[in-house]
Amino acid sequence: MSKAVRIEPDLQFIKDLQAVGGDSLKKCYQCATCSVACPLSPADAPYPRKEMVWAQWGLKDKLVNDIDIWLCHNCGTCSDLCPRGAKPGDLLAALRNMAYRSLVSPTILGTWMSSSKYLPILVAIPAALWLFVWYLTTGLTIPEGDIVFGKIFPGDYTIDPIMSLTFFFMVASFVLGVSRLIKSFGAAGGTYYVGEHKKPSVLNCIKDVLFNEVGQHANFKECGGEVQKPEDEERFKGHLALFYSFVILAVVTGLIAFGHWGGKVIHFLEPMGHTPLPLYAPHKFAALVGMCLGIYGLVKLTSRRMNLDQSKTKSSYYDWYLLGVVWAVFATGAGALLFRLAGVATLAYVTYYVHLVAVWMLFAYLPWSKLGHLVYRTVALIYARYIGRVPLS
Amino acid sequence: MPNTSVLVVGGGFSGITAALEAAELGHEVYLVEKTPFLGGRVAQLNKYFPKLCPPSCGLEIQFQRIKKNKNVKVFTLAELVSVSGQKGDYTAKIRIRPRHTAPGSADLSELAGELPARADNAFELGLAKRGPLHLDMPFAFPARYVLEKDELRAADLETLEDNEFIDLEETEKEIEVCVGSIVVATGWKPYDVTRLTNLGAGALDNCITNMQLERLASPCGPTGGQILRPSDGAAPKRVAFVQCAGSRDENHLNFCSYICCMASLKQATYVREQYPDAQVTIFYIDLRTPDRYQKFRARVLADENIRTVKGKVAAAAQGEGGQVVLTVEDAVAGTKSHETFDLVVLATGMQPTLSGERLPIDVPVDEDGFIVGGEDKGIFAAGCAKKPLDVMKSAQSGTGAAMKAIETVRR
Repeated sequence: MSKAVRIEPDLQFIKDLQAVGGDSLKKCYQCATCSVACPLSPADAPYPRKEMVWAQWGLKDKLVNDIDIWLCHNCGTCSDLCPRGAKPGDLLAALRNMAYRSLVSPTILGTWMSSSKYLPILVAIPAALWLFVWYLTTGLTIPEGDIVFGKIFPGDYTIDPIMSLTFFFMVASFVLGVSRLIKSFGAAGGTYYVGEHKKPSVLNCIKDVLFNEVGQHANFKECGGEVQKPEDEERFKGHLALFYSFVILAVVTGLIAFGHWGGKVIHFLEPMGHTPLPLYAPHKFAALVGMCLGIYGLVKLTSRRMNLDQSKTKSSYYDWYLLGVVWAVFATGAGALLFRLAGVATLAYVTYYVHLVAVWMLFAYLPWSKLGHLVYRTVALIYARYIGRVPLS
Repeated sequence: MPNTSVLVVGGGFSGITAALEAAELGHEVYLVEKTPFLGGRVAQLNKYFPKLCPPSCGLEIQFQRIKKNKNVKVFTLAELVSVSGQKGDYTAKIRIRPRHTAPGSADLSELAGELPARADNAFELGLAKRGPLHLDMPFAFPARYVLEKDELRAADLETLEDNEFIDLEETEKEIEVCVGSIVVATGWKPYDVTRLTNLGAGALDNCITNMQLERLASPCGPTGGQILRPSDGAAPKRVAFVQCAGSRDENHLNFCSYICCMASLKQATYVREQYPDAQVTIFYIDLRTPDRYQKFRARVLADENIRTVKGKVAAAAQGEGGQVVLTVEDAVAGTKSHETFDLVVLATGMQPTLSGERLPIDVPVDEDGFIVGGEDKGIFAAGCAKKPLDVMKSAQSGTGAAMKAIETVRR
């Protein structure tokens, strides 16, 4: 107590944090219930109590370098038990939202992703892009004959190059974001072990995280504590289903691309990449399974969010944006398929156009959206494993 | 000309005080108590803070004052049925349940001992059983046994047959009294631990409440004053107090119960007096010892075997050998750990009796059940029916309510 520390609060930071979902952070009175309630929080410097006081004091530097915001899987148990309704779970979500917003440039994208008032801009970009393509190919008309989406949006010259570029832009953004993130984690320190301790290898940490956390959602399942509520079960199943739906659809897309481009060299591969796929094609069947799985997951996740006790956990714009875009992707994907099979050309083409808009939005803006957690949380979990920052029990 | 009598509802410390203050100024007072004996929660305590004297100290004086004052009419086993009229002229209907023992203070302890103890002893907060014929404590007032007729079995009836002090024929009575004003001193109840699901919901061995510890430490309690673990009767070496068990919590009691910090500090001295080697840990959010209680806190915490940790216990589980494992973050050190104790005391808060219960009196209560008004109608709240208070402040508030009640009926 001999040396006084002057706290220099960043007031704007507090206000920003309140705006992106941390609006009740000032209610916290530091009882530390949350740190105990959290089944994932470690023994040393557990979260989220310390984040609550940092946020109240406007200690931006501490919070933007905090690895713990990524270790949280947002089950809301801390918020349920919080005696003051301070919603620590929402604060950590808000901190992640801030990270999505400002981790990588162009930060204007982060700003556009932060509020519904910019949504028209975000939609307008891919809408104009794909409309331009449509204009170039058929002059904005609906083609005659069999419904083949390639007539308006040919893979070779439009979709593949545009989506590839988008994909690489996204990957490059993530590389930048991840390198910044890891640099910021340097401040986290590690666990000090007394006596002999074998540090795990990075490879083992990666394997562990990919297999257990990403593959099986182990923490995610644990999240929610001892008393598993039906909502937790809903969230776990919904998230897992949606995740594997994306995995299946990614594999199918990969197979088609491989068949299409590879087929130009190795000819027998060609039918695998020829779209529209016949319904009996195994990978078409897989895609349909992925689609159903995805819609099942979306229904679960959406119903859970809609039924959340607002006094305990609120959903932010980031949550709804992501759910909305993923819904748009699946709904238009399914719609385009059904309209095509039904032979309703106009509806089929228009729905497919909207599908492309939604898919582009999902990928191009990914590092600035909540889906960024796919990469950032994975990296943080690997890092946390490596430095020994693991749950207490 | 208004009726100058006063009705006091509740025979705990504030109710008794209100009744006596009004009576000693010449007003006729009807004191209505739901249980068979006066004294309320105070009667269950081992000691008061900060002077650490036993409750008989204050209560016996009050009981003497009642005995000596003809103006106080005490009705035990009595409940208010209805109240009609207005300020200055109320008619209250009171229902009195039968006591089934003869008037007077005959010592029925031998007879009581012949009847087997089967029922949970509510006065001992579930720590003991009691027979159907009972007196809650040695200095109970009235010092007249009560017989729970519906708990009797055939063998008991034989034992009681033809006993001149037992009256099985007594029936429920209803009386009406006319008063000018009413003091509501309905007090408090310990917060229901079964609702504290993250703290074991009352189902863990050796995880007791602060009021239960009062009984364990009380010389007339179930262990004769020895603090022993309920599960195996072992002497505890490591004892923890969990503050704010349900208080200051919007999911439970959304207010500070005011007394629990002082109560736990006091109870830490009980443990330390009995066990010179025992280690006591108090887990708190803020240790609230206002005004002169600060001195008491300093005195208690001077004991180096009493440790305080800032951090609310948010999980309790059963450990091995009847131990209790608490999970807590020390918010100063920033470390979270599991700690094991032989005995854990939950400092459960005060819930107003009127929470979830209605009186047949038209008096407004807030969302927590505390009385917030009624004074314009000549109805005055005293003690913990109004807000959480310690014994001293309850007495003061009883006096205050009595003064206001008198003011009402004098005009």
